[in-house]
Amino acid sequence: MLAMIACSWWPKTISAQDEKPAVAPVGRTYAITNVNIVQAPGRKIDQGVVVMKDGLITAVGKGIAIPPEAIVIKADSMYVYAGFIDGLSHTGIPKPKEERERDREKVKDPGNPPADRAGITPQTDVRNLINPADKSVEELRGLGFTVSQVVPYGNFLPGSAAIVLLGGKSPDDMVLVSNSALYSELTGSQNVYPSTIMAVMAKFRELYKNASLNKSYQSLYATNRNAISRPESDRILEAFYPVIDQRIPVLFKSERVMETQRVFTLKNDLSFSLIIGDVKEGWPIIPKIKSSGAKVFLSLDLPDEVKKEEKKDDKKGAKKDSVKTEPKKETVKPKTALDLEKEALEKRKKESIALYASQSNEFSKAGLTFGFSAMSAKTKDIQANLRRMIKAGLSEDAALAGLTTSPAQLLGLSDRLGTIDVGKMANLVVSYKPYFDEKSKVRYVFVDGNIYKIDAKEVKKADDKVSAIGSWSYSTETPQGTATGKLVIKGDKGSYSGTITNSFTGKTVDLKNVELDGNKLSFTFPYDDNGQSLTIQVLVEIDGNSFEGTMSPGPDGSFPVKATKDPKF
Amino acid sequence: MLIKNATVLTVTKGTLTETDVLVKDGKIAQIGKNLAAPQGSKTIDATGLFVMPGIIDAHSHIAIDGINEASSPVTAEVAEGDVINPTQISIYRALGGGITAVHAMHGSANAIGGQCETLKLRYGTFDNDAMKMEGAPRTIKFALGENPTRVHGAGNSIVPRTRMGVEFVIRRSFSDAKKYAEDWDNYNKNKLVKGFRGAPPVYNLRLEILAEILKGNIIIHCHSYRADEIFMLLNVCKDFGIKRLVFQHVNEGFKVAPELAAYGAMASVFSDWWAYKFEVYYSTAYNAAILTRNGVVTSINSDDAEMMRHLYHEAAKTQKYGGLSDDEALSLVTINPAKQLGIDSRTGSLEVGKDADIAIFKNHPLSVYGVPQYTIVDGIVRFDRANDPADMRLMVDPKQNVEDASVLSDKGRDNCMDGTEFLFGDFSDADKK
Repeated sequence: MLAMIACSWWPKTISAQDEKPAVAPVGRTYAITNVNIVQAPGRKIDQGVVVMKDGLITAVGKGIAIPPEAIVIKADSMYVYAGFIDGLSHTGIPKPKEERERDREKVKDPGNPPADRAGITPQTDVRNLINPADKSVEELRGLGFTVSQVVPYGNFLPGSAAIVLLGGKSPDDMVLVSNSALYSELTGSQNVYPSTIMAVMAKFRELYKNASLNKSYQSLYATNRNAISRPESDRILEAFYPVIDQRIPVLFKSERVMETQRVFTLKNDLSFSLIIGDVKEGWPIIPKIKSSGAKVFLSLDLPDEVKKEEKKDDKKGAKKDSVKTEPKKETVKPKTALDLEKEALEKRKKESIALYASQSNEFSKAGLTFGFSAMSAKTKDIQANLRRMIKAGLSEDAALAGLTTSPAQLLGLSDRLGTIDVGKMANLVVSYKPYFDEKSKVRYVFVDGNIYKIDAKEVKKADDKVSAIGSWSYSTETPQGTATGKLVIKGDKGSYSGTITNSFTGKTVDLKNVELDGNKLSFTFPYDDNGQSLTIQVLVEIDGNSFEGTMSPGPDGSFPVKATKDPKF
Repeated sequence: MLIKNATVLTVTKGTLTETDVLVKDGKIAQIGKNLAAPQGSKTIDATGLFVMPGIIDAHSHIAIDGINEASSPVTAEVAEGDVINPTQISIYRALGGGITAVHAMHGSANAIGGQCETLKLRYGTFDNDAMKMEGAPRTIKFALGENPTRVHGAGNSIVPRTRMGVEFVIRRSFSDAKKYAEDWDNYNKNKLVKGFRGAPPVYNLRLEILAEILKGNIIIHCHSYRADEIFMLLNVCKDFGIKRLVFQHVNEGFKVAPELAAYGAMASVFSDWWAYKFEVYYSTAYNAAILTRNGVVTSINSDDAEMMRHLYHEAAKTQKYGGLSDDEALSLVTINPAKQLGIDSRTGSLEVGKDADIAIFKNHPLSVYGVPQYTIVDGIVRFDRANDPADMRLMVDPKQNVEDASVLSDKGRDNCMDGTEFLFGDFSDADKK
């Protein structure tokens, strides 16, 4: 009977469900339901639906018909935003092993080192270095980032940049835009030329000028190759050609205020298009940045806040008085000149830290469009740092813009990234609470329409209170009546298993994919009804000795299920 | 701004008592008695005080991020002007010593070092270009003797290892530059000829700069101590037609003073700092005076962020050692370094029309009781002893612990060898080879 009803509920496409969920889900159609949609800063839809298919957003709004083949993601009281974009980092690029200087082969003539020792490898294509399985991809994605502009490690001219999706099986899978910029840093090489910043700058100018000359000569040669000497083939210089043609910009890491200005000096000398990334000290030179026309990605890294060290002094006092047993007198010693000086210096340090935190707000107030760069920030600090910036005055809308619409615009990808709109790429982040709330956690991230469930490791603490283990008596309301049975969960954190019985079939079957996420228990089990094999998905929330949730045989319908724990004897 | 009723030490045009100096639009507008202050302008009552030209330090390494590109013995292409750092606190402290302009130099690790930059101490800005003195002539650092031979010869077994090697490196560089300039001149000429389809020569920034030296567009400032090497460079410059030449340190300059004067080469020396290396053993505190008496344009420099704060006292030592007059002694730190930097038409003395670079002292600057009260750069008061805040830092490091801030630097006084430590091999082994 269940089978007959089941047939009328589900389309024929879901007839041969795979029993092994390790294989990719059939079709890439998802519907996020009952979710608070932040389409873009200032554009919200409360409790709506987002539908995506094959990597593109196909519907956004309220009262939307959910396609029959869609996998439904119930996101009640959650928030969905466009996936975040990082403008400059090494995400996905494995960090090379640090070679000790003494272990490296000594360069005979440090004034004329081989190009790779000098840091001059602009022809390196970062795509050849990407490792999709590098931990950094998963870590940054876990914060809601879906796209990154990534560059090779190294100093001076490590190679080209590429804009990549933070998900995919191979480097090519990930690449959105190859050779998006020529990457450079004003950092010298150890012990060989160029080692100082001034030498790096001089060398940059010389390389650029020679590239221009070579390029012009190549054009001349191409018109008639007879009777003149052939142009030199030089991979290093050729890497500059697209920059000289103004087809791609130079992307400079410019953390500090003087460093950034030195990059501007080169830009003014050579007239290339410029992006500055991981900017930490931009606020003293905002007018200069504005007039330079450079595109800006501010650093997500902030200096640590000063910890309150008051207890230390009390401890010191206690040590001195350890001999005495009577309580200390509450005398207030007059502050010495040294104390006052220390206080004044601490105050300035605190003010300095505050300036770093308020940088993005200053850019916002000055009307400068900016994105963010994850290059030097630790992933565990990024959300907290964004909250610090907001506390320092940056509006949440401006913060969101810096993560979505602005970087999309700066990278020339507004047509397909940055907002939740029909036709754009299905890059989304779903969080339990508004993203910028204290303790807000990311639940799902969609990259190119593929779902990633984010394991919030911290939630494991709740495991102590919630125990799924044991025997549960459940009942579920189906159209043809109530089904009941026993659900037994065994095992330990991280590896649960169990069995379930069913009053309709009378059989006991094994559970699969048993997962406990906080107080949310999910599993699947096979259901054989008159020869038709189905996989029933169960998702319930445990509250003490009872749980409530849903059982779904497929995307079309779900039946409510309740259970109480069987007491142990 | 009006400075009233001071003893004005013009240095070039005598000393005037109870005289006013009127500053307008960053320049010295008038020097005279009972001048009227324009409406709304600041007045400094300098009664009993001494007003002199702002002090110029012709050899300094402050305000720059990076001193030695020590990876190669010839690095003419690098420029200190690219790495100016106007936020360094040493700039403010120099202002506290009456300094208004400095020659920010490359270090002495290389036979031919990088281009230097003449800076006005306009402290208070983050702008990396704001301190550069517009229109100041280009200068470059050369170095002879033990520094380049230790760093490159002993450190890396490359030429130069001896003084004759240093000479060879300089001569070869100039010859290469000459050929380079000829190649480019030929190309540029032929390029205009119809139907010409030749390839341009490789663009080499190092040789470009060296060619500029040969053309007389860049003043050489050469670190040197021994008379033989000083004389050697005079001959090299004569061979290549280079006239604009200033020697730095020149401890044995007194031995070749007539030759220096005859060539027109100038000298920037220490007052009494020697014996820290072998090549600096044979020295005398009378060096500056002897050079002056022999007609060499001489200045006294510091090459040190601390010593520059009392350069006026260093100048005063020549009165004890050599009997220089007040104006002669003051010239050593004002108009003479200005001449050596090619900026004497703009600054270095108190004359109408010159930049308002002024230092005001309590007691005569050459007196041991002299203390700077105000330092004015381009007509702006950059240091006022009565209004001197305790913390004048522009940028505060958000990561540095307050407890850890050290007072004394354990670096040696001579910054000229900064950044070259890594290149130092074991000297004993090098000599055994």
